[in-house]
Amino acid sequence: MARKSHEVIEVPDALDANKAAEIAFAHDQGLTSHAFTKGEHPIVRIEHLNKSFDETKVLRDVNLDVWPGEVVVVLGPSGSGKSTMLRCINLLETPSAGHILIHDNEITHASGSEVNKLRRDVGMVFQSFNLFPHLTAKENVMIGQTKVLKKDKAEAEAEAMKQLEAVGLADRADFKPAQLSGGQQQRVAIARAVAMHPEIILFDEPTSALDPELVRGVLDVMRDLAENSGMTMIVVTHEMGFARDVADRVVFMEGGVVVEQGLPAKVFDHPENERTAEFLGSIK
Amino acid sequence: MRRSQNKRTTRLLAALAIALVAVLALVPTSAVAMTTNKATARPNEDGGSGVIGGMDTRLTWEGTVEDGEELTAITLSLPDGATFDHSTTRVTVLEGLKRVEIGNSTTPSGSSITVKFDEAIPADSLVRLEITDMQFPSEGGDYAVSGTYETADGTRQLADSPTIAIIANTPLQAAVNWLDEQPAVQAWNSVPFLGMFLKPQLLLTSFSSLFPGWLVCLAIVIAAYPFAILLGMVFALLKISKYKVVRAIAIIYINILRGTPLFLQIYIMFFGLPMIGINIDNNVLGVIVMAINSSAYLAEIFRAGIESIPVGQYEAASSLGMTHMQTMTNIIIPQTVRRVLPTVTSDFITAYKDTSLLSSVGVMELMMFSKNLTTVSGNITPYMAAAIFYLIVTLPLIKIVGIVESNIARSERGGGPRPKRKGASEATAESDLTNSATAVHAETADKKLEDALAGVFAPFRPQTQTPEV
Repeated sequence: MARKSHEVIEVPDALDANKAAEIAFAHDQGLTSHAFTKGEHPIVRIEHLNKSFDETKVLRDVNLDVWPGEVVVVLGPSGSGKSTMLRCINLLETPSAGHILIHDNEITHASGSEVNKLRRDVGMVFQSFNLFPHLTAKENVMIGQTKVLKKDKAEAEAEAMKQLEAVGLADRADFKPAQLSGGQQQRVAIARAVAMHPEIILFDEPTSALDPELVRGVLDVMRDLAENSGMTMIVVTHEMGFARDVADRVVFMEGGVVVEQGLPAKVFDHPENERTAEFLGSIK
Repeated sequence: MRRSQNKRTTRLLAALAIALVAVLALVPTSAVAMTTNKATARPNEDGGSGVIGGMDTRLTWEGTVEDGEELTAITLSLPDGATFDHSTTRVTVLEGLKRVEIGNSTTPSGSSITVKFDEAIPADSLVRLEITDMQFPSEGGDYAVSGTYETADGTRQLADSPTIAIIANTPLQAAVNWLDEQPAVQAWNSVPFLGMFLKPQLLLTSFSSLFPGWLVCLAIVIAAYPFAILLGMVFALLKISKYKVVRAIAIIYINILRGTPLFLQIYIMFFGLPMIGINIDNNVLGVIVMAINSSAYLAEIFRAGIESIPVGQYEAASSLGMTHMQTMTNIIIPQTVRRVLPTVTSDFITAYKDTSLLSSVGVMELMMFSKNLTTVSGNITPYMAAAIFYLIVTLPLIKIVGIVESNIARSERGGGPRPKRKGASEATAESDLTNSATAVHAETADKKLEDALAGVFAPFRPQTQTPEV
């Protein structure tokens, strides 16, 4: 209902023509992902993305490309629009204007069934876990596989156990979410997303709701995913250590715009933007 | 030869004719000498009009002495197994409207009683025998009183009386009889309040009399409720529809039904439908009214339940690629059911109690039975029996609601029994996950402390455990 008419911007055709320039730009920016050299298209391309909630403009003309296999960490103060941008990528929020392309396909006008199909390829891990409380850990990991991917039960169960083992919770397979700690719940939620084998996983402040001592277990699981799975990850977080160690690229947002982006070392140690420096300074 | 043969034949025929006339003349006189008017037994059912076997009653037999006869004795044959006290038998003889005193003596022999009159009773008199303290056989059945009578001409058979229906004496009746004799019960009943509200004998008979009504109550509410749940679910979903018109329909339906008394709805349906030519069986219509009424309340309960599910649940389901339908059936509705179970049970209790209102339109349910029994017995005890019948169902349900509520509260807090962990070593064996494995142990210890504290602070904690977006 809040959907507004989109500005008409001609984009897709320009992609190939501008690729060389983009790659050159990317290298200048210190975006080092291996994907560039193979000449691939970005897996996610966000162009002139705007999002307003009533009168409040949350995103103002956001542009961002994410390349296959890349781990992008989005930083920024609260209210800078990080989560909203993330939620636009799998259409949990409908963009007010602009374009989001996944594999060069425009998704902002997708129909209901197209949206469901898209979401199979874009997993999400939420700040508040959002496990299904009436299902056990194993059933939480199985339900997407059986209902959406239409896998048979045994296959889904095997996959679920594999993923629970990967997050170190095979022994909690029959526990209900309420019987697990926050950290365990979040790891089950990660297993649930990974079990769908999406191309992209979005992490929306996955450790913000956790007690400090539980954060590490979740970050370890994410680190393992980043290093071994080859999945594209877009992570909104306040964990600077994780960003520095794991990210291929760090994106700094403020006031609904991407203020600065680049290699973690570059952004952390030599921020170009004053606001970035200020924010990183306040965190340290 | 021929002639003499003819003569013989004629004589034979004449003799036969005379004999026939004689028989015909005799038979009517013997048949009408004494007619049986009636035989009745006094009702001895507590709060009823039946005659129960094995309990004291009074048998009244009446007969009329016909023209030209004089009665000297009557023997009544009572059913085998009947007992009576012959010494208190009352004999009444009426000549027209005048009562005549005639001396008599009664003698029992087995199950019959013989009354000998000191002087013959003249014709046209009415004879009434009242045999007191009589008990019919306790197995019950239909009994006729037969017997013989004596006139100057000899002994003749009495016509059988119309049958008297005797109700079998049940263990319940036996218990009532036993209670009747207990001094403690008599003392109890002599206290006005106790005797009027909780008379043990009547309580006992009420239970058996009200039982069919109780079944009707249960049947109505049990039959109505599945429909109510279905209708309620439909209107709950309509009310959260994105279409304004659909929402409006649901709101009108729900608000009208919730905004008017059930009593009024019953009257409108029970009196209104027949007036437009729709005649539905009372019990079925009762089910329909109860189902419609409950559906409005259930719709609100379900709507609130669905809306109480955090938006994060929809988002999580969506992010897995589930359709709206899959999300509702696999994620939202199952959680809603758990959440609304206590409230729905409470509504079931209300619906069950509200079936009592159907008594006002003649549905033979518990309230109706107890009302009738109270009218007949002039005692409040049947209402108390009805109260007990309602409580038999409601008290356990109230208890269940409490248990379910505390279970849900506990599981939302994260308490409750945990399944057995199988092979804790599996986790630690993962070499690259040693860090997380140690975190698991830290978390477990932390969780134990948290659980212990949760028990202490349970009443002060907010209901939701996790913050929602």
